Amino acid sequence: MMFRLSSYVIKGIWRHRARTMLTVSGAAVAMFVFCFVGSVQEGLERLTSDEDAQRTLIVFQENRFCPTSSRLPEDYARRIAEIPGVKDVMPVQVWTNNCRASLDIVVFNGAPPKQLQTARKLELTSGNWGEFESRRDAAIVGENVATRRNLKKGDQFSIGDLDVQVAGVFTSPVPAEENLIYTGLEFLQYTRGLDSAGLVTQHEVHLTENADPDEVASAIDEALRAGPVATTTRRKGAFQTSTLSDLVDLIGFAHYLGYACVGLVLALVATTTVMAVQDRIKEHAVLQTLGVRPARVFRIVIAESLLLCFAGGILGTAVALAILNWGGLAIGAEGVTIAFRPSIQLAAVGLLVSASVGILAGIIPAVQAARTPIVTALRQP
Amino acid sequence: MALVEIRNLSKSFSKGDEVISPLVDVDLDIHQGDFVSLMGPSGTGKSTLLNLISGIDQPEQGTIVVDGVEVTKLSRSKLADWRAANLGYIFQTHNLIPVLTAYENVELPILLLPLTAGERRRRVEIALEAVGLSDRADHYPWQMSGGQEQRVGIARAIVAHPKVVVADEPTGSLDTKTSDQIQVLLKRLNQELDITLVMVTHDSEAAAIASRQMILDNGKIIESIAEHANGASSEQHAQMVRGK
Repeated sequence: MMFRLSSYVIKGIWRHRARTMLTVSGAAVAMFVFCFVGSVQEGLERLTSDEDAQRTLIVFQENRFCPTSSRLPEDYARRIAEIPGVKDVMPVQVWTNNCRASLDIVVFNGAPPKQLQTARKLELTSGNWGEFESRRDAAIVGENVATRRNLKKGDQFSIGDLDVQVAGVFTSPVPAEENLIYTGLEFLQYTRGLDSAGLVTQHEVHLTENADPDEVASAIDEALRAGPVATTTRRKGAFQTSTLSDLVDLIGFAHYLGYACVGLVLALVATTTVMAVQDRIKEHAVLQTLGVRPARVFRIVIAESLLLCFAGGILGTAVALAILNWGGLAIGAEGVTIAFRPSIQLAAVGLLVSASVGILAGIIPAVQAARTPIVTALRQP
Repeated sequence: MALVEIRNLSKSFSKGDEVISPLVDVDLDIHQGDFVSLMGPSGTGKSTLLNLISGIDQPEQGTIVVDGVEVTKLSRSKLADWRAANLGYIFQTHNLIPVLTAYENVELPILLLPLTAGERRRRVEIALEAVGLSDRADHYPWQMSGGQEQRVGIARAIVAHPKVVVADEPTGSLDTKTSDQIQVLLKRLNQELDITLVMVTHDSEAAAIASRQMILDNGKIIESIAEHANGASSEQHAQMVRGK
């Protein structure tokens, strides 16, 4: 039955085009911000809670945060590998153009190419591993960085004292990886200014299936205590959270911005619906005189509110997802990045929130439309 | 048995400290095919009686039975269903839905009935043809004259084949010529389609076309002589009735 009145509902919304467009635009902007904030939160969540973050350890120099200040002996890898529960150790030299929080952070990770290929699930969309392994200054570039910096295979890329040849572009199931540029370990160690021969920023430790990450981390720090440099070993997730602690607080606060956006949509659509109902109190009374039940009038108003909000939700979510997909945006600090990525879950939440807010915003005006005495409403001019 | 049976119907309003009782123990029978006109001074309860028959207002006491259904006992939702199937309402100010075409306005009441799309189309076309507006089906209310809008309102009132059509001053907002055309149309619908009509009017000329003319005064209904056999004008006739 509601579908039979759909023409009336749609024409009802369209009768005040300017008001409708403004409301839909407002809802779209708010849902855009909501999805963007959601994407940052999802990115942080992925960094700290996925399997890689929980089952991989990072050995860093004790009391150091910026990658430029952590300098561990490369041969720690051999000693770490002897500890029970350790499957593999990958020494990593990190270089970043900015240790502070930045939206255009460039992070180089230097690692042995063979180990990199087995330790990471990187898929080259252009170029090949052979060229990466054979050229000393070769680099493979994450898709987000490639998009942001407009890089492709064969390009020469220079930043600071680094000058690399792009040997390929890769994608990864771990979105933050796509914000990295990988080179060979030695290339970064011998880069002018770093002066890191025989040193690395961190060791990445992969565990055997049954190993307890916290026990292994303690064992590593204990074993290296007698070494020239003391270490702090943490799960990768905890390491990244700690490294990004300032940003984590900021992102936590941004959470409230998401709620504020929902509140904004609610207020906006509710105001428009109240205005629409007040304009049409008499019309709703006419409908009831013609035989439309009060409950159906209620549903008509709810449908109008839902359509307004949902249209804004679809628009805002679609634009946010498109920008997140093609923008290659990321934020990072201290060599760790958070990728802003679209996801089906984010789209579903955006649409669900806009639909729920649409229904919620329509309830009070719908009750008003359905319960106003018909005779009183018909007397209105 | 009467199609509409009204018994002991009373309705009063509070206006500040004052209580106004436009209808007091009203009894009235309306038969199938009757064309009843209700006249009377302003505030005497003509529209109130119409609203009570329509079920859009509730009486203090009394009953209204339409074709065996006691409408005064129905809930608001059941009344809506009942109106959709049994009652046509013609408003003084047309009250067409501005965003719908003439066709869609007429179709609106039967969208609520269990009819196929084909049957709905057939009924709307017949109703529009009955009021002479087949060629205006795609026009919006703002594209029509007041008289045409009222004819769409009449088509909308009859499209569901209701048992009773009520009209609240259907010519009240029209010029004399258009008013005459609407009166002729209502009379024709009553005579040719056997539609039972209850019409409130201030216009004694309009009231004169009805087969039964009544006057509401002091909360009571006074039925006048059906035909103006004495040749008196409608106003004179009404004054005679008031003077009884």
